Amino acid sequence: MKKSFRISLLLTVALALVAVLSACQPEVVEVPVEVTRVVTETVEVEGAEVEVTRVVVETETVTETVVETEVVEVNPVVFNSYSSDPAVRAFEEKMVAAYVEANPNSPVQHTIVNHEDFKQAIRAYLVAEPAPDVLTWFAGNRARFFIDRGLILPISDVWESEGWNDDFPKGFRAMSEVDGEAYFLPTSWYWWAIFYRVSIFEENGITPPETWDELIAACETLDGAGLIPITIGTKFRWTAAAWFDYINMRLNGPQFHLDLMLGKESYTDPRVKAVFEKWTELFDANCFIDDAAAYSWQDAVDPLNQGEAAMYLMGQFIMDPIADDIEDDIDFFRFPIIDPSVPIGEDAPTDGFFIAAAAANPEGAKDLLGFMGGVEAQTLMVEEIGRLPTHNGVNPDLFTEQQQKGIELINGADMVVQFYDRDTTPEMADVGMNGMMAFWDDPSQIDAILEELEAQRLEIFSE
Amino acid sequence: MATTNLPNQPAKKGTQIHWGKVALFIFLLVFTIVYMSPFFGAIITSVRTQEDISVNGFWSIPTEVTFSNYTEAWQRANVDRYLLNSFIITIPALIGTIFLSSLSAYALARHRFRINRFIYFMYVAGTLLPFQILLLPVFLLSNYLGIYDTYWAVILIHTAFQMGFCTFVLRNFMRTLPGEIMDAARIDGCSEWGIYWRIVMPLTVPGIAAIATLEFTWIFNDYIWALMLIQNDELKPVTSGLTTLQGQFVTNWPLIVAGALLAAIPTVVVFFALQRYFIGGLTLGSVK
Amino acid sequence: MAVMSQDPLNKDQKKRPDTQTFGQKVGHFVRKHNLTPYFFITPPLLLYIMWVIGPMFYTFYLSMTDWDGISRNRETRRPEFEFIGLENFYDLFGSLGKVIPSAFEYSLYNNLVWLLVFITIPLVMGLGLAVILNQGIHGERWFKVGIFLPQILSLAVVALIWSWVYNPRAGLINTFLAGIGVAPENLPGWLADKDWAIWSVIAAATWRQIGYVMILYVAGLKNVPVTLLEAAQVDGANAWERFRYVTLPLLMPVTTIVIVISVIDSLRAFDLVQIMTRGGPANSTSVLANLMYIQAFNNYRMGLGAATAVVLFFISLVFIIAYLYRVMQDELEY
Repeated sequence: MKKSFRISLLLTVALALVAVLSACQPEVVEVPVEVTRVVTETVEVEGAEVEVTRVVVETETVTETVVETEVVEVNPVVFNSYSSDPAVRAFEEKMVAAYVEANPNSPVQHTIVNHEDFKQAIRAYLVAEPAPDVLTWFAGNRARFFIDRGLILPISDVWESEGWNDDFPKGFRAMSEVDGEAYFLPTSWYWWAIFYRVSIFEENGITPPETWDELIAACETLDGAGLIPITIGTKFRWTAAAWFDYINMRLNGPQFHLDLMLGKESYTDPRVKAVFEKWTELFDANCFIDDAAAYSWQDAVDPLNQGEAAMYLMGQFIMDPIADDIEDDIDFFRFPIIDPSVPIGEDAPTDGFFIAAAAANPEGAKDLLGFMGGVEAQTLMVEEIGRLPTHNGVNPDLFTEQQQKGIELINGADMVVQFYDRDTTPEMADVGMNGMMAFWDDPSQIDAILEELEAQRLEIFSE
Repeated sequence: MATTNLPNQPAKKGTQIHWGKVALFIFLLVFTIVYMSPFFGAIITSVRTQEDISVNGFWSIPTEVTFSNYTEAWQRANVDRYLLNSFIITIPALIGTIFLSSLSAYALARHRFRINRFIYFMYVAGTLLPFQILLLPVFLLSNYLGIYDTYWAVILIHTAFQMGFCTFVLRNFMRTLPGEIMDAARIDGCSEWGIYWRIVMPLTVPGIAAIATLEFTWIFNDYIWALMLIQNDELKPVTSGLTTLQGQFVTNWPLIVAGALLAAIPTVVVFFALQRYFIGGLTLGSVK
Repeated sequence: MAVMSQDPLNKDQKKRPDTQTFGQKVGHFVRKHNLTPYFFITPPLLLYIMWVIGPMFYTFYLSMTDWDGISRNRETRRPEFEFIGLENFYDLFGSLGKVIPSAFEYSLYNNLVWLLVFITIPLVMGLGLAVILNQGIHGERWFKVGIFLPQILSLAVVALIWSWVYNPRAGLINTFLAGIGVAPENLPGWLADKDWAIWSVIAAATWRQIGYVMILYVAGLKNVPVTLLEAAQVDGANAWERFRYVTLPLLMPVTTIVIVISVIDSLRAFDLVQIMTRGGPANSTSVLANLMYIQAFNNYRMGLGAATAVVLFFISLVFIIAYLYRVMQDELEY
């Protein structure tokens, strides 16, 4: 009923408009259609009321508005993705092509949206009707937010039928489920580390810093040589959050960091202030590139490519925009230790896919998801973009030396967290990252910034 | 003294050199070149390769001139599709808004009725509304109507929102038409619709041409509604498509700038082809 | 001035009332109650109410709720939220005056700066250029086209071009400055520098606006009667005095329009900020329209976003009323 009301409302307005516009008039066709109706009547039989159900076939004329884009025989699976960077885009297109080739009757409408725009637009996608079927997203809290609001379709059946419960390490199932029900499909994960130009380090006689003091010393050497020690692009803010994550974990331990993310610790705690004070040492040593806020994270890779900058704290995906000819010149090292007595925490975010609760084609979506989580798709991913797979069935011989080293790095950690904006709530992440930007602009404001963050934390986590 | 010449007066003697004017000319020339430098710079960048610029810097002589950025933007980055979408959105919205506005403009200009002034002022006020405040409800409305993520959502909101300005301009234009013609037609038994369609509309053509040119660029250049109401890459107009381009070719400035320049071509063409109407439209809306 | 014509059909009312067909009766009824104009205004009005007026009031309503923008009732699919009165407004105004200015404070300030710059610079430069061009300069047409060109570009295009112009490492300005020998550490960061960023964005907006204002003044100057200026010259007024006491007062209507357009355009500012800086660094380029967008679509606070929109509405309302008042006075002259 509701639907037809909406459509008639729309048509009234549309037709009023369209009647005179020959140029843009959709074809209005009168079609005689046989309509089968199930009619329930109440009939009086011998004084008693009996419900009779019968099937009535009628012919009626239905006015159909034919809009060209909607003439599709098979409902495609609508797949919206944030993989707008060239390398990931190429991989994803290949993966979808492989799926369609194997399933010629299941077309996929694959839309790639600018990564940063997607993060904002997903609110609109999820409440739209129909919503897109399959979406790219981040595992953990950022997915949990949608799950709690009933916007994500449960997919325990897919986990079951595809055998993922056995083939994925238990941790991935744990981060995908709420109350025993799985909602998310993690397909890839990666490590964070400080990536650097091997040749620049060699030329300046630097070995990969293992401690904080060595990092500061490396900055001073590089700065003295007229190079940019560390490049970073903070236009979209989250790159700076990585520095906060790591300094906090190295200084105060990963458990404190996680508690802070969950709103259980105070931002005015002296331990948090110590993080920013430590961070200030990097500014004092002239570690960072000037005008970081002008660049996206990819913009900031340019100086690394051009040999003007030496280091970049980034996830493994930094390799995507690294120029082919210097790929072999890039290596990485674990974020330096500040206090050896503190357990080691690492950022290792997991990405994947989910199906929207309001999806128009949940069956098709589940089928596509089944493929995405499978060995074939994950193997393609390992080969194309070098992320780490979640499926145990991917042949470990495929891993490059760099990937092996990345796995070791994570295995050597006492605790693994996701990332600042994935571990805390979206609102706290927004004010937190704004605070970091304000700090970056003027480090002397630490106290005022932290007081503000604390006020926000109290408000946000009060509910 | 040359500068004391009255405006629009031709120089009295052609042989005489007006040094003041020469100075003004040189000033204007320099000013215009500096003023347009971002534009020229963009054009120069767009015909160079990323490599050339990053190695030699922008202020070097190009090692080679290439149009590959344009062909790549056109094909690989989907700019052709985006431009087509822009037209699919702009043209119906333009026709719709002008037609509907002309209806109310006719009633407001040529009929006395109780709420005439009220409606008129409502449209004038609506013209000045910061339309962003409609963003959230219009999103919900289009979603409710089931036209979210279709051309219709953008077409309808443009049609509705631009009606304020069009009604305002057309109403004032129609008021300047001689009333005698309409009276004569009425006496001849012409219906109200006939008067509107056969008499008033033809006389309003200059006004419509002017406002249509202007509205074309406004609707064509819209960014926020497209950003908000269209998600499918296949349906995006060129303005919001460009930001996808920016995401896809992050640091490839020549290509991004080439895409931006391609996106600007239709409005620039319309402006040059219909310059007289365009400026007429601007002044119609302002200088009564 | 056109005088509203009397509807002559009203005089025909008494013609042969008995022999009317149904259609004629309807026609009669329509004329008797003067319904004709309503037929003309209703279709556009319906569309307008549905897409503009209605949504405006819905924004007011949402501003008093705590909707997160995605929570919906699972059966009715209606937005699900609680009515919280003016709490969103307390939130916004309560955030003023902190040591670290809140995004809302930056937005108010930036809208104000934008407004002032947008009124003064294009007005002065546009008028100046129009006056110069009005002297009958050789190639005047081409200068006009050149200066007007940016106005035709969409804000998205302007934003992309200027993002490149401002790029600290590869951009037009800094590579030029470096070329003429400015030391790298003295090169401004433009969009990256909290103190420069908003000015850089406004400069791009102003760049686009000057040509528009210039064209309006060029048209206005054409309407200044030469005879008046000649008379003033005969009376011994010099060029400046003629401009100041004859031309400028006659340009007042144009100036009013320029101010109205500038105010409205500056309150509407969104595209440039969204594409060039997203309000950063550290909120320093945030404007109300962007803040609203970020609150609603980034931070899951649709209600707070709507409240920001309402603040923006009331600020505009001051100018809308002022303008309406002027239009009304014009109307009364008819």
